Amino acid sequence: MRPSKLERLRDTALPWLVPAVILLGWQAAVSSGLVSNRFMPAPLDVVRAGWEAGRTGELWTNLGVSTLRALAGFVVGGGIGFALGLANGLSRLSERLTDTSVQMVRNVPHLSLIPLVILWFGIGEEAKLFLVALGVFFPIYANTLHGIRSVDPGLVEMGRVYGMSRTELFTRVVLPGALPSIFVGLRYALGIMWLTLIVAETISASSGLGYMAMQAREFMLVDVVVLAILIYAALGKLADALTRQLERACLAWNPAYRSA
Amino acid sequence: MLLDAVRREALPDQSSDPRHAGGEAGHHVGSPASGRAAAEPAGRGIAVTVRDLHKSFDGNAVIEGLNLFLPAGGFTAVVGRSGCGKSTLLRLILGLETPTGGRIDLEGPAGSARRSEPPKRIMFQEPRLLPWARVVDNVAVGLSGHGSRAERRERARAALAEVGLADKAGQWPATLSGGQRQRVALARALVSRPGLLALDEPLGALDALTRIDMQDLIERIWRAQGFTALLVTHDVAEAVALADRILVVEDGRIALDLRVEVPRPRRRGDPDLARLEGRILDHLLGTPQAL
Repeated sequence: MRPSKLERLRDTALPWLVPAVILLGWQAAVSSGLVSNRFMPAPLDVVRAGWEAGRTGELWTNLGVSTLRALAGFVVGGGIGFALGLANGLSRLSERLTDTSVQMVRNVPHLSLIPLVILWFGIGEEAKLFLVALGVFFPIYANTLHGIRSVDPGLVEMGRVYGMSRTELFTRVVLPGALPSIFVGLRYALGIMWLTLIVAETISASSGLGYMAMQAREFMLVDVVVLAILIYAALGKLADALTRQLERACLAWNPAYRSA
Repeated sequence: MLLDAVRREALPDQSSDPRHAGGEAGHHVGSPASGRAAAEPAGRGIAVTVRDLHKSFDGNAVIEGLNLFLPAGGFTAVVGRSGCGKSTLLRLILGLETPTGGRIDLEGPAGSARRSEPPKRIMFQEPRLLPWARVVDNVAVGLSGHGSRAERRERARAALAEVGLADKAGQWPATLSGGQRQRVALARALVSRPGLLALDEPLGALDALTRIDMQDLIERIWRAQGFTALLVTHDVAEAVALADRILVVEDGRIALDLRVEVPRPRRRGDPDLARLEGRILDHLLGTPQAL
């Protein structure tokens, strides 16, 4: 029996019921004075703050600055991590030379370097770029290396016997085989990218979303603080959704990634 | 296209080929049946000569002084207990392992230039298809480095038709059954028209009925194309049904070399085949033989 229109509507609406109730309860709690709006702004205040920041253009400038920083750090750190992961996955010599060092550095929490980074770069763009790149490097490196290691040796042997050149072996067997693992690294890295940027911008910046939130705190604009937090959440979700799409397109052969 | 090419070639001539009849006798080892094996219909087969072959892994000898001649176009099965060195022998002949001692010579059809020699191909126990390539592109892997992409695909489609999977060309390997995957692997091995096809227990993982279908398919294509076939198996019944010569390998040497004289097409359950199977099994199990 096919579900009726009503049933389908119910199935779509049901997951949104709990968030809606929470939002309504929240709004009611603040409006009735149960919770002071000095600590927690009502949802409508947050919307108003967003509208206001959007109107003055402040929001877009800060959003643009933060996104650019995130992407620049991601490209630099991810690029180096990917290249080194490939090199170490394909060459024993390269691995022997660098892997131990990388594993040692990996145990240093990159955010603990903030004081040092401020000493080196001040609070300029370099500081943020460095931290994001460093944070993104490790998951991409480790997962690329792992992906190449876990390529089925039987397939590589098959490629060799069937006369594939080294380039063909890489592009047709090794890289596609490593791709699922590389994507895992990519999604990890995106999470770390936002996290690092938030921390760096909150501690030392003169523009960006984190800076916007810290400024708002100075003036007790709680609604703007909450707005900044929500925007970070939305950006993280957006990055994840984009990766998912990319995964689906690249890994269509894998039953685990095929869309229903 | 491939299908047409196959039809044009003569069916295998079961009479012995005078070209090889004289030269090979010396290479057979302890052979009660050292005659010319099957025919050489298209003259595309690669002849294999193995002399005093040794192979050891970390000091453990696996192959110890093995001599063997595989005439072009023959169908030889190698049976033996697991660990007897039969798979190693096949991998050595294919060049997947380097011998510790001795030599292996492959000789293509007379007159073919070094460059245009028919390739040697192997079918593994697992299909080993690239999961990220469509079925037709997986078959085209067999033509790596030959012709344009479109040409390769065209020939791959023809080879798929040959194994009865023309309609699966655009699918991912993950959507196929085990038997279909192994047929794709067979098409991949055959698309380059090999001179030597090594089969390393390729049907071991299939169910009984699919196995029989695959055996018939392999036999039919071998008869049509005339490559040299070397089948490694632990299934004596399979060896007896397919091969015209059976080698029993024991302790890294050939312990028994038997001709299968039963004419093709062979009927399953044929008493002659059953007798031969029994004899080989007796040998393998070490029971006294009533020869």
